[in-house]
Amino acid sequence: MVRCGYCERRCPLGPESYGYCRMYYAPDGRVEERFPDKWCAHATARIETIPFYHAWPGARCLVVGTAGCNFDCRYCANAEVVKVDPAQQQDVMLDMAPEVLVATARKRDCRAIVFSINEPTVSLPTLERVAVAAREAGLVMGCLTNGYATPEATARLGAIFSCVNVSLKGLAPQFCQTYLGVPDAGPILRNIEALARLTHLEVTTPVIEGVNSHELGEMAAFLADVSPDIPWHAFRLLPEYKMRKEDYPSIESVGALVEGAGEKLRYVYFHNFIGSRWVNTDCPHCGAAVIERHSLGCGGDRLEAFHLIGHACPHCGGRVALRGFHESATAKETAA
Amino acid sequence: MSLAILDAREWQQVVDLRTGRPLEAQGAVVDMVGALVDRHPFPGDRDNQSNDWVTDTALDLIAQYDPRFAFLSFSEQYYSWRYSPLTEAERQQRVDGAFAAVERFAQASGFTVVVVGTGDLVPAAVPVDLEGLDGLAVSSNWCAHYAGLYDLSDRDRALLAAHPGLERVVSRQDIMTLFDGRPGDEERLPESMAVTREGHFFKGTSLRRLYMIPQPSAVVPVSRNLGPVGSVTDIRAALLKLLETQKVALAFVEGVGCADFRLPHTACANGRGWFAYEPGDGQFLAISQGKHSIFEHNGGYRYYQDDTDSKPYPYSGFFTEIPSGTIGQAIPGRSIAVGNRSMFMHVLTGCDVTCECFARNLYNQGVMAVVHRQDKA
Repeated sequence: MVRCGYCERRCPLGPESYGYCRMYYAPDGRVEERFPDKWCAHATARIETIPFYHAWPGARCLVVGTAGCNFDCRYCANAEVVKVDPAQQQDVMLDMAPEVLVATARKRDCRAIVFSINEPTVSLPTLERVAVAAREAGLVMGCLTNGYATPEATARLGAIFSCVNVSLKGLAPQFCQTYLGVPDAGPILRNIEALARLTHLEVTTPVIEGVNSHELGEMAAFLADVSPDIPWHAFRLLPEYKMRKEDYPSIESVGALVEGAGEKLRYVYFHNFIGSRWVNTDCPHCGAAVIERHSLGCGGDRLEAFHLIGHACPHCGGRVALRGFHESATAKETAA
Repeated sequence: MSLAILDAREWQQVVDLRTGRPLEAQGAVVDMVGALVDRHPFPGDRDNQSNDWVTDTALDLIAQYDPRFAFLSFSEQYYSWRYSPLTEAERQQRVDGAFAAVERFAQASGFTVVVVGTGDLVPAAVPVDLEGLDGLAVSSNWCAHYAGLYDLSDRDRALLAAHPGLERVVSRQDIMTLFDGRPGDEERLPESMAVTREGHFFKGTSLRRLYMIPQPSAVVPVSRNLGPVGSVTDIRAALLKLLETQKVALAFVEGVGCADFRLPHTACANGRGWFAYEPGDGQFLAISQGKHSIFEHNGGYRYYQDDTDSKPYPYSGFFTEIPSGTIGQAIPGRSIAVGNRSMFMHVLTGCDVTCECFARNLYNQGVMAVVHRQDKA
């Protein structure tokens, strides 16, 4: 048996021992992927849908995912993919070598490949090979992660991805144990600090009213200590999976909590519901709306207007935290 | 100006449908519709109350607005069959449930209800994987049967010709010829279109495992009370004639073909030649406009090209304008539409007031109501 070094569970692996995520094993005493280059789906979308609000605004992306997860979130929105044994899904998975995936992204005129359906840590070697091919093709890569990687894997994530959105779901150990299936949030907080040094970082918090909403202030304070420039996305949680029958959070009351909690951060958003009023980026210096968006709910948000000049507010000249520049998706594709 | 009332449960936002920008809108119809959607939160695509939501919401809207025409879709069974491993008995139970919801509407409203089944579903085989092409294959989230093809190489053509899951590959010109296309009609057509054999499907962009898929039916059932119709494109004219003498509702029972249809019916053509509509927006549009609409909506154009910063109608899928010539626009009297099949109704029906679920990939975001007209007496 060897210990998996990808996530903080550090599961024992053997020839037929697959660990919690069921995506790794150790057939010859070395940790290997069970299903390399197998993808559950790909779709073309704008980068705001991930969400990234401060990285290559408007960029068209190839959104991808694999199978498996190292968490057991009670409200998982993608449970039909990530909570099923990956071995049982292989008959409907797409088999795409890194070069094929990158070629597909280019044919669709994408600027980026974004991993956002399940947890990238469970497919890290595949993603590293995709990153090499993407870099050669001039594409950037991004991901949405739960942040429960080992320090070594976190460093590798930071090297692969030009933008990372960490889902900071809660702080209290009891919450982590009951709602996420992990002992505590310590590794996630550690990795947020590390990723902020390594790459562009945004943070998302799915808010469950009465469950983790009381922790919003503490989360915002932690993030502000790391950097007040970290964009923070409070998500109205739509309960799925084991919480499907539970009530939806009140937008008014959670919105007020988020606004109050986010005063130390420069970029605070509240969305994952149709018609949100909390999706624009206001200049932190003069308050002008410098990036305008629509919230289309969990199907994704979209860029409506980009007013910055480079990274500067057109009204006061103040700097707005941003990785990359506005990507105005063309109506018609160019040949790959 | 068309207004959209976005209701995310206990929280509403009124926006200009074209720009998506919030506005302060008032008026008797807007106020009435806002209160109505607040009373009827959407239970979810696969919830067993979903078809009853359509009936309840439509009856409430009729009581408030007194329309002469109602356009309805009942789709819970369609979503459940696609994404749930159901037994045949469970499947039949859902057919009964859908027709019961339609019948309850008919009894309570007093409308003459014309029922259309949108076609069969069949068990899903393994997906057709075209990722290895030199060119590009595009199928949408809901499209199982058709894929648009671009930039094919000779090697691709040979692979496609020998593919065991494909029934045919047709060129853009083939489609133009089949549907009497005129110059300019080809803008949204793919260069070629691949068509699967029965049971096979293109995986599309959906994450979820498919258990059943829409098998585009050469014919679909239309309840006999409409009178004789030879094609889905004949339904519109027959409805308009019926409306001269009575209040009428057109009710779609999604995913049901002739074999499972519970009413006396006529089997009418569901396309032309080799092309048959899958249940969905293209079929709705053909029926609403009374003409084939494949040039506006087909199973494989590069939908994401229309998602630009300046795209109008952000809540209307990839439509960049609201189609004209739809049935609601042709009716001088008041009209409504209510449906639980995604955000189709306001786009495809042209009715004065529409209420539809705002659900994406089965994620329940709430309800959207659209007020196209407030001026009808």
